[in-house]
Amino acid sequence: MNFFEAQDNARRKTWQLIALFTGAVISLILLTNLLVAAVMFYSTTTGMASPAPFSERLVALPTRTWVMISLGVVGMVSVACLYKYLSLRGGGRAIAEMLGGSLLTRDVASGNASRLLNIVEEMAIASGIPVPPVYLIPETSINAFAAGLSADDAVIGINQGTIDHLKRDELQGVVAHEFSHIVNGDTRINLRLIAALHGIIFLSMIGHTILRGFRYGGSRRSNGNSGVPIIALGAGLLVIGYAGTFFGNLIKAAVSRQREYLADAAAVQFTRNPHGIADALKKIGGLSQGSRMTVAAADEASHMFFGQVHPLFLNSIMATHPPLPKRIRAIEPSWDGGFIDVDATGTVDTGGPDTVSAFSAVSGSAAVTAAAPERLVAEVGTLSTAGLAAAQKLIADTDNRLREAAHDSWGARGLIYAMLLAQDAEVRAGQQDLLAQQAEPGVPEYTRQLADAVDQLDAARRLTLTEMAMPALKSLSQQQYQRFVSNCIALIKSDRRISLFEWVLHRVLLKELRPHFEGPSRVRVRHGSLRSVAGETGTLLSTIARTGHPQDPSAARQAFDAGSAMLDIPVQFSDQPDTNFQDLNAALAELRRLKPLLKPKLLKACAATALADDSIVSNEAALLHGIAAALDCPLPPSIYTQG
Amino acid sequence: METIIVLVVLAAVVFWIVGIYNKLVTLKNRFKNAFSQIEVQLKRRYDLIPNLVETAKGYMSHERETLEAVINARNQALAGLQAAAQDPGNAEAIKQLGSAEGALGGALGRLSVVMEAYPDLKANQNMMQLSEELTSTENRVAFARQAYNDQVTDYNTYKQTFPAVLLASTFGHVGNAALLEYEDREAMQAAPQVSF
Repeated sequence: MNFFEAQDNARRKTWQLIALFTGAVISLILLTNLLVAAVMFYSTTTGMASPAPFSERLVALPTRTWVMISLGVVGMVSVACLYKYLSLRGGGRAIAEMLGGSLLTRDVASGNASRLLNIVEEMAIASGIPVPPVYLIPETSINAFAAGLSADDAVIGINQGTIDHLKRDELQGVVAHEFSHIVNGDTRINLRLIAALHGIIFLSMIGHTILRGFRYGGSRRSNGNSGVPIIALGAGLLVIGYAGTFFGNLIKAAVSRQREYLADAAAVQFTRNPHGIADALKKIGGLSQGSRMTVAAADEASHMFFGQVHPLFLNSIMATHPPLPKRIRAIEPSWDGGFIDVDATGTVDTGGPDTVSAFSAVSGSAAVTAAAPERLVAEVGTLSTAGLAAAQKLIADTDNRLREAAHDSWGARGLIYAMLLAQDAEVRAGQQDLLAQQAEPGVPEYTRQLADAVDQLDAARRLTLTEMAMPALKSLSQQQYQRFVSNCIALIKSDRRISLFEWVLHRVLLKELRPHFEGPSRVRVRHGSLRSVAGETGTLLSTIARTGHPQDPSAARQAFDAGSAMLDIPVQFSDQPDTNFQDLNAALAELRRLKPLLKPKLLKACAATALADDSIVSNEAALLHGIAAALDCPLPPSIYTQG
Repeated sequence: METIIVLVVLAAVVFWIVGIYNKLVTLKNRFKNAFSQIEVQLKRRYDLIPNLVETAKGYMSHERETLEAVINARNQALAGLQAAAQDPGNAEAIKQLGSAEGALGGALGRLSVVMEAYPDLKANQNMMQLSEELTSTENRVAFARQAYNDQVTDYNTYKQTFPAVLLASTFGHVGNAALLEYEDREAMQAAPQVSF
């Protein structure tokens, strides 16, 4: 199943989820009605000479009571769901904080922790998604999770135990598993699931509270009888609540269990190393705490973790994850059944500094050649070993100073400012003045120092560095972020024109930072066919064609034709010499709303236009990067290694 | 009918309250996290200072007092940092760190002034490199401090405005968190004169 199919599938699953949820709510309504009727039955028949049988009483209840009870249940469930939905609006970060995680930044991390950050970075670049911030959960068991409404606000959470006990290969396996969840859109459904389930589960919480309150105040009651209905109500709510939890867990299991196998398989495909993730699973089996989580909130999010959060009997239908032995055998059919005893071996030693090139499982041989547009598109959202090798090479080839700059929040801003410095000396001087006035002390000088190295990078390398700088930029405070963005815009405007690179950089920055600082945005799918966006498509392809052939209109036209041949709708070539970025932005905003299954076609056309002359120059690669970002399609780094 | 409405409204109110509680906790954790960024940079700065003083001693053997003042201030500040790191929510500890940092800045400032009279020392490669690193670290400290103060302000503001103000003390969020404030060293404002 490829990326686009997965996205489409994820949307369909949501409908399934809603159906199951509705079924659960209806069952709850019926149960609550029964309960209230039973309570009323007992309270009115005590003391009667010859009470009528329960079933008669039940039928005798006025319809109005049924309706009101049902409304009450629906009302409560809605309020609970709404509350949870609102509290999760912050995206992945909200979950991580709910689980007690603290942001793990480069300067604080050392040893095993910084190795983990390296792994997350190289995998993100390899899969073409922004590098997610990593949150550390203070638990000693081995577990991890990925959360977020989309790849842009995704975060990865890792237990302290995971960092302590797993070797690099094993960590890679776990992280790859989580990445596959992010790329396949599982994380969005998972968040929705939490909100939905909260509505059903919270009734049992009320039941608990009633019983507890009654236990303390009830002994004062003189008349034992009058207390019974309330106890019954409390106990009943508890029962209903657990019925709710039962349905909830069934839903979770139905939605998430199958996908755990898929994510395991994707992890193997990504690292081409089944032993990494298999050993990680074996270590969970061998550790006394396993993957158990002690924080209460983990229950709600249990379907989002790598390993089972609460140990259940192996074949329980309520399990959110397949049983451990089954998972291991699915990856390693020849497994002998033995776990790795972690308690004995203790924590894992880093064994020296983590050198990126030193351990790649696949030889870091040269460029990936994905010549045909089909191959390029096929690579979107895939986690492939070749992509991982390419990413490791890209990172290792980066100037140390620039890499360090990208990794801390102070330096990362300076790095981006340096990328926006103009070539023209006069404009550059003006930009430096601007920075001296509006940025913090020391920034202009630092930017000047980095500029030498940055000037030598082509657009593609600059964009890779930008991706690497994302976690550091996300750890800025709200006010620092706003200042940073306004400085960037001022720098772009200082030469009174927008270059292609500036446009791409601006789009990428906003796309990836805005959800973190201003809340994730919702993209409503609107276009079911390419026909309704023919105009926008024409604008897009024309822009790509002209970017690749700025001096040669006829070659541009040819490139455009190559691209439009991939589509079965008529598109218009516009031969304006300069790119109108307003039009391009508007076009992309509409194209973003295409049904996922239509996007591959569009991307293929874009790739065909760019590859019409059998090569992708830096500008074209940067433009494709910007377009892929605008369309929410993760483009792996192989486009940068074209001939 | 009324009971149903009352129950639903009650549930909504309960959730609202829980939401406030959670937000207070989240904002507090955020500024505590932000403090750990400052801690890393400050430690780096404190580690540079003994080196700086050793290099200076070679040239400024008569300026014992100034040099010792710097080392003492640095030790005080380090102790203040360790105390604050135990619990960044403790306003007193933060304020003490602020004044210890201010004192250190003052001592370093006096050292700079005194160094003006020793051109050989200023031209010393090692010294130049250390000064450069110190300034760079101080820039980072200032930045991390800014982020921390922003988070502290967010927390304090939320805590003091409606509706959280009604419940904050019940939930254990009593005093305001302290901003980390002190005068930045003069030398930080100017670009370093070092050339590569």
